[in-house]
Amino acid sequence: KGITTAAVCVYPARVCDAVKALKAAGCSIPVAAVATGFPAGQTHLKTRLEEIRLAVEDGATEIDVVINRTLVLTGQWEALYDEIRQFRKACGEAHLKTILATGELGPLTNVYKASLIAMMAGSDFIKTSTGKETVNATFPVAIVMLRAIRDFFWKTGNKVGFKPAGGIRTAKDSLAWLSLIKEELGDEWLTPELFRIGASSLLSDIERQIYHHVTGRYAAYHDLPMS
Amino acid sequence: MAATGVGSRARDIFTALEYGPVPESHACALAWLDTHNRLLGHYVGGEWLKPEHRNAVSCRDPITGENLANCLQAQGEDVAAAVEAARTAFKAWSQLPGATRARYLTQLAKVILMHQRLLWTLESLVTGRAVREVRDGDVPLAQQLLQYHAVQAHAQEKALAGWEPRGVIGLILSPPFSFLDMMWRVCPALAMGCTVVALVPPASPTPLLLAQLAGELSPVPGILNVMCGPALLGPALASEPGVQKVAFCGAVEEGQALRRTLAGKGAELGLALGTESLLLLTDSADVDSAVEGIVDAAWSDRSPGGLRLLIQESVWDETVQRIQARMGRLRSGRGLDGAVDMGARGATAQDLAQHYVHEAQSQGGQVFQAGDVPSDSPFFSPTLVFGLPPAAPCAQAEVPWPVVMASPFRTAKEALALANGMPRGGSASVWSERLGQALELGYGLRVGTVWINAHGLRDPVVPTGGCKESGSSWHGGQDGLYEYLQPSGTPARLPFLCESLNYDTFGLVVPSTVPSGPETGPSWGMQSPRARASLLWALAAALQRRDTALASRLERHGSEPKAAKAEVEVSVRRLQMWGTQLQDQGHTLQVAGLRGPVLRLREPLGVLAVVCPDEWPLLAFVSLLAPALAHGNAVVLVPSGTCPLLALEICQDVATLFPAGLVNVVTGDQDHLTRCLALHQDIQALWYFGSAQGSQFVEWASAGNLKPVWVNRGFPRAWDEEAEGAGSELSLHAARTKALWLPMGD
Repeated sequence: KGITTAAVCVYPARVCDAVKALKAAGCSIPVAAVATGFPAGQTHLKTRLEEIRLAVEDGATEIDVVINRTLVLTGQWEALYDEIRQFRKACGEAHLKTILATGELGPLTNVYKASLIAMMAGSDFIKTSTGKETVNATFPVAIVMLRAIRDFFWKTGNKVGFKPAGGIRTAKDSLAWLSLIKEELGDEWLTPELFRIGASSLLSDIERQIYHHVTGRYAAYHDLPMS
Repeated sequence: MAATGVGSRARDIFTALEYGPVPESHACALAWLDTHNRLLGHYVGGEWLKPEHRNAVSCRDPITGENLANCLQAQGEDVAAAVEAARTAFKAWSQLPGATRARYLTQLAKVILMHQRLLWTLESLVTGRAVREVRDGDVPLAQQLLQYHAVQAHAQEKALAGWEPRGVIGLILSPPFSFLDMMWRVCPALAMGCTVVALVPPASPTPLLLAQLAGELSPVPGILNVMCGPALLGPALASEPGVQKVAFCGAVEEGQALRRTLAGKGAELGLALGTESLLLLTDSADVDSAVEGIVDAAWSDRSPGGLRLLIQESVWDETVQRIQARMGRLRSGRGLDGAVDMGARGATAQDLAQHYVHEAQSQGGQVFQAGDVPSDSPFFSPTLVFGLPPAAPCAQAEVPWPVVMASPFRTAKEALALANGMPRGGSASVWSERLGQALELGYGLRVGTVWINAHGLRDPVVPTGGCKESGSSWHGGQDGLYEYLQPSGTPARLPFLCESLNYDTFGLVVPSTVPSGPETGPSWGMQSPRARASLLWALAAALQRRDTALASRLERHGSEPKAAKAEVEVSVRRLQMWGTQLQDQGHTLQVAGLRGPVLRLREPLGVLAVVCPDEWPLLAFVSLLAPALAHGNAVVLVPSGTCPLLALEICQDVATLFPAGLVNVVTGDQDHLTRCLALHQDIQALWYFGSAQGSQFVEWASAGNLKPVWVNRGFPRAWDEEAEGAGSELSLHAARTKALWLPMGD
């Protein structure tokens, strides 16, 4: 009854296929594309911007970009701001999620500053990690980013969304995340427009919970489609 | 069909995303109360007693008012019986090897683990505190206390060789204090070989449960005896002959009254008073974390009292905004509901808070409470009071739970002045991301415990206590152990009460001359140990040069020539010895579960007044002067009444060597000077070695500012023996401890 994921996230090369497949299935879920040299971001700025433009052309309505960690680690905040502004422009109407790769940023003060810059530059969402780092979404990092979102809201009135990604595998974990958002930001943020969880195996765990809730029995892995 | 019915509820939950209740069942608590037919007696001598013709106070659920059980109230004869049981038990218990006591404490920790659900459910049900705090904080801490003190008991024979257990300890707890406060005192007492009689508030089943668990396990019946009783039974317990030490937790006024009643009765008194703490928020603090610290301090049911908050003016608006936003999200509810932050504490606590808030408003303060709570609700909303003028009485009074009283400050110096300008000195936290500033404030605060960037952390290894009106007794750590020990061979403390002593006229001489307090205290304490050591050596050398003059004066006073010479020699050696014991600044404690050190600092008391004994006019004078100076205090001495000139001779050297005002010697009528010093509110501690009557007066008068006193009760002391004249007991009395917590993390 209308319970779906918020989006399907794919690499830039697969955007066309994904859009076609969803259209054939009659599904209106948006397709999100990762861009800008995901996951390491170590390519030329020119190619990174071109990736965004191509992904948007192919039909992606949401773009997940990766920030340049070098700029954070060397304290070049203005340069970071300029880069993200360019990503924003390249996205055009598409929804922009900025991945901070917090596991590689060092101290929490860097995470806070990077969050604020990403928001000032026009991101719609800030995201903790690519899911490919050694340390992904942890609660301390999340609290820092949520407080940055709240400070930004108090100062400008703009609401930016939050997406933790990586390491969230069970439905129980996702409840902990929901209550964290509720505590730090309030009920208004508890919608898909402002809160997403980036995960792959989480989906099958949620399906298993629903299966159990409806039938009263635990499903085996082969009872549910692979995700 | 059931599935879709339930399914739509799940959908509603996920749409509304409200917290649901997580009720803990209190069936096991009620079951335990049922085994006693809902009537709890006293636990004395290893068994339950239910004497006839006793009042019963009803123990009520703080939220519903439902009667859970009735507790029999003790009377005078019950107290006497309990003390007798404890005395009998003490004979056996103190003779057991430390290892046996250690084994007992470890087993008791396991028993508590087995019954932990009963313990936390009962405590949360009866006191109304959030079960999360009791279950995850208090009960594990009680187990850790037992385990830590088991280790101490095991090592006692070697590590504390010159010390023996005091005897029967009387423990008096007042209403806001919980079973955990009882455990903080019972564990070291039992570990060291003492036995305990505890008088707990009228309707407290949890301490009785603990007594039952402890008693069923104990090889010796009567080591822990617990009774419920009214507050006025406290002095009766304290005065009972056979009680060697009284530990009291409660309000300041009651502590003062108890100090006065106990003067001359012989028992040592340890006071832990007041429930308030302090939070100092600088402009370099991580404000969001500090706000969580405020929640921990005042609104999480961890502490029994309220919070005094000092905020640097430049971050005032930002901080208050965040506090108010956070207050809006605090959840008050039934303590047994796992999803609440704060429970209810009962009618008395509510009235206290209500009274304070009204007073604050009438004195010009503003009050903020998030949300509306109906006036007949058992819950009291978290409250923020600010805008009180500094001279308002509410700004000086103790802040009750769950109120936070906020005041601004501009500079760190002003913050210290405001914080130290309170008569209380319990615990405080400093919030600053700048290490240097944090340490400066931490060292400057006159309190017993300082947390840097944290609040309310506790561990059995770290001593917790206070100074000034918060009382000077300690629990936890090594300091907590010494509360229940005395030097080996000390005779039992008997009352030396003089019934006819008139406190109003003792020592009153017309016209009265009052010596003014010396002002060099703080800077002397700041001098490095080496500087103090070299000054003490210089004084020793000066005495050496005068030795013939001093010896001849002693002979004129009546000493044998050889004895006089020996006395001078020993005095010189003592000065040198105290100089060489470079009083260490403190040492680091390792605390489980904390990343970062905890420093145990030894700080000077301030101004220490000493009334020297008549015997050993030179040696006693020097033996008392040296440790006081070595620990960084400023001293006011009243020399031996029979031979004051010796002290005055030494003063000639003191005047040339030491900074002005550091050492002050006052001669005159001993009783009169004692009166002045004992009543003086700006003297931080007093040592009295005179008559029994004087000792009694000193104990009585110290209630004014609750200064720690050390009296000889009229008995002479063997100053020439190392143990009595130069032992660690002197060191213990000459300084106070401060615990400084330094958690790590960026």
